[in-house]
Amino acid sequence: MRPLNEMREVVIGGVGITKWGFYENAEWYDFGSEAILAALKNAEMEWKDIQAAFCGSVYQGTGSGHQAIKEIGLTGIPIVNVENACSSCASAFRLAYQMVAAEIYDIVLAVGMEKMPRGPIPSTAFRPWELKLGFNVQPANYANIAVQYMKKTGATIEDFSMVTVKNRRHGALNPNARFQKPVTLEEVMNSRLVATPLRLLHCCPLADGAAAFILCSKNKLKSKYKVITVAASTLTSGIYGEGYPPADLIPSLKYPPAMSLTELSAKQAYEVAGCGPADINVVQAYDTMAPAELWDLEELGFCKPGEAPHLLREGVFDLNGKIPVNTDGGLMSRGHPLGATAGGQIYEIVLQLRGQAGPRQVKDAKVGLAHAMGAGPNSAVTILKC
Amino acid sequence: MTKEGKMIIPLTEGLYTLPSSPYEKPQLIGSKCINCEELFFPKKEKRLCIHCQQMTLEEVKLSRQGKIASFTIVLQPPAGGFYHGPVPYAYGYVDLPEGVRVETQFTGDFNALEIGGDVELVIEKLYEDAEGNEFVTYKFKLLKEQE
Ligand SMILES: [Zn+2]
Repeated sequence: MRPLNEMREVVIGGVGITKWGFYENAEWYDFGSEAILAALKNAEMEWKDIQAAFCGSVYQGTGSGHQAIKEIGLTGIPIVNVENACSSCASAFRLAYQMVAAEIYDIVLAVGMEKMPRGPIPSTAFRPWELKLGFNVQPANYANIAVQYMKKTGATIEDFSMVTVKNRRHGALNPNARFQKPVTLEEVMNSRLVATPLRLLHCCPLADGAAAFILCSKNKLKSKYKVITVAASTLTSGIYGEGYPPADLIPSLKYPPAMSLTELSAKQAYEVAGCGPADINVVQAYDTMAPAELWDLEELGFCKPGEAPHLLREGVFDLNGKIPVNTDGGLMSRGHPLGATAGGQIYEIVLQLRGQAGPRQVKDAKVGLAHAMGAGPNSAVTILKC
Repeated sequence: MTKEGKMIIPLTEGLYTLPSSPYEKPQLIGSKCINCEELFFPKKEKRLCIHCQQMTLEEVKLSRQGKIASFTIVLQPPAGGFYHGPVPYAYGYVDLPEGVRVETQFTGDFNALEIGGDVELVIEKLYEDAEGNEFVTYKFKLLKEQE
């Protein structure tokens, strides 16, 4: 196995995103193709320059990427559809990156897009007997992790609420987010109880949306933006013995893993990128539920286990903090179109490194990290550098 | 089993033993690997151990008592229309002394639940259908609340 960092350098050719929210009169192929065209324009490239396409989505069914690309025009290139739950777009991005790194293609498209099903969505991770016992409520799955985290670290429900408050404050500065209105601590603490101790505003909202990326070799780069290199793009899909209730995984008491899935994917990413958590200037962590951002930051190595709530209160994860986290508002503000979510995270890192993040710009951001988790389970870590 | 002509039906077959006398108590049925000693609940249908990949799983009856690892009171009805029990309900994990974690509902006073609390297995109604047939399941209940 040849290490990817010994292969050809891969850079961001261009990026595109749509407004995330609910599209009542458009399908995924409408806003998916819109994101692709935006990325193409941003890359200052022609459609015929694209040599392969990896298309992430979860609920759109067979040939979903083909449907989006048909809106622009079929050109005979290979189109591969990627379903990897909430890591789908990061997985598509990774495949595109590998293709360019391995010199199989020079210019490759990665897109994530999702029109979320309306109404309740039954999880496919649970067996029939578990569905009959009501084990498939995602906030309840997270609540079980959250209460153990509280017991272990002394974190409080107020700490969890502060994550929502911070991310919604950041989201108010993101014109593409579904929610652009900040919330107060009282609003979060008084929102409807879903599964004790978690309330409605501890859960990320759903949304429709798309994000697209053109990855290329450095010699094919056309745009005059700051050059951004893909320093790492890792994916780990489950390890024996780790509990992950949203994916119906119960921890092994006899054979617990040496490290968590997130720790493993982060370790691999830091190794490939040749850097560590101390070198990262901006982070998009996985805040599908508010408390998850806290243990995510710990497992990504930004602080010691149990330290995140304290650092959050100190403002370390604010826009002007030492380690700004979820600068675009995270899943809490963007909303969660499953197949596109990881793309929203990577898009924000690109804007921050290019210095194009406007009112939410982090000063002198040179290295950024995005982490997407998901049922499966999957853990995808992307590190970009400029 | 009948009660005034109504049926008492296990929600799912094969998760626990059905006592043949009033002196016998139900037990959860799991799998144990005779190669690596890993334990699983529920019982795996195949003999393949997903820890050591050997065809070495055997059926085992699990301890009736354990400790609460975590729990939550769920106030939102589960999606999909598969769940017909009451809402709110208490859902979480119990660690059994032989070294296996079990996903379960809890019964009894939800306010008395605590991590580390000692619980025991009970078989209890989850819901009744329109004809009055009772669908029963395993649950765990705090020992201090057992009669
Ligand atoms: Zn084994």
